[in-house]
Amino acid sequence: MITVIGWLIGLGTFVLLAILIVHVLLSLLLIVPSWRILERAGFSGLLSLFHLVPVVGPFVVMAILAFSDWPNGEGKRVRP
Amino acid sequence: MMGFDLAALLGLFGLTSAFALVGLVLAGWMCWRIAAKAGLPGWTGAGTILLTVTGIGSLVSLILLWVFAFMRWPRDGEPVRGAAASAPAGTTPGAPAALPPPPKALADRRGWTLAGAGVTLAFDDGRPSYRLTGEGTGAPDELVVADPSVGRPHARLLTAAGRIGLEDLGSPAGTFIDGARLLPSHGPRDITAVRSLKLGNVELALSRT
Repeated sequence: MITVIGWLIGLGTFVLLAILIVHVLLSLLLIVPSWRILERAGFSGLLSLFHLVPVVGPFVVMAILAFSDWPNGEGKRVRP
Repeated sequence: MMGFDLAALLGLFGLTSAFALVGLVLAGWMCWRIAAKAGLPGWTGAGTILLTVTGIGSLVSLILLWVFAFMRWPRDGEPVRGAAASAPAGTTPGAPAALPPPPKALADRRGWTLAGAGVTLAFDDGRPSYRLTGEGTGAPDELVVADPSVGRPHARLLTAAGRIGLEDLGSPAGTFIDGARLLPSHGPRDITAVRSLKLGNVELALSRT
């Protein structure tokens, strides 16, 4: 019985690790372009690491870009 | 029991659908704003999000995100047109680029003043360019703004026939035109109509003398 429980715990740990790795890999697909977009907008690229937060992370990054003033200028040319 | 399970399941689906709908609308709205801030039509951003509810799936949206990140944005302005091309023949590469002449010759020969934070700098178009620096070396073309946040040199001012341009020289603390960051990659910008500059932490007002 103990062996079975230990086996199940080990399997659960393995599954969790696999989920974590897949999550990080999928997040990287969003982090890389977001990093560049944030830097071009004038923010720190580190903010793109919010993508690692499940579910709400991408919304946080989008909210930062959508509702903050871009330090590097927005929409129109900086030149007056 | 079976009916209860079915109701719970349908409730779960309903709640999930409601969250998905709210998330979709929110994401579409934010992407509209992001695209607009980059100088693109807002519908391109919202449309990218709406693609996820079509049969195309989210893969295309992901590809479009990468394209958006690495494409040229309309917001990325161009340097003053012809600034480098109109440099006088014989000047060495890297020398200050002259501003192109205005469409009409301007008779206004007044000088310029940069003032703020206890600093008043006066200059005119007697020289083609001036260097804005945080520490002077005695050179006649220097405009010294003694502040630790101002680079050495920080930026270059270009003058030509009543017009004035500004070019950032890679200063860490940055140069700002009316609050917008000027990067070295932007090249020289026409600031004739600009009233507020920021070198590092120093706010300067630009006016005619």
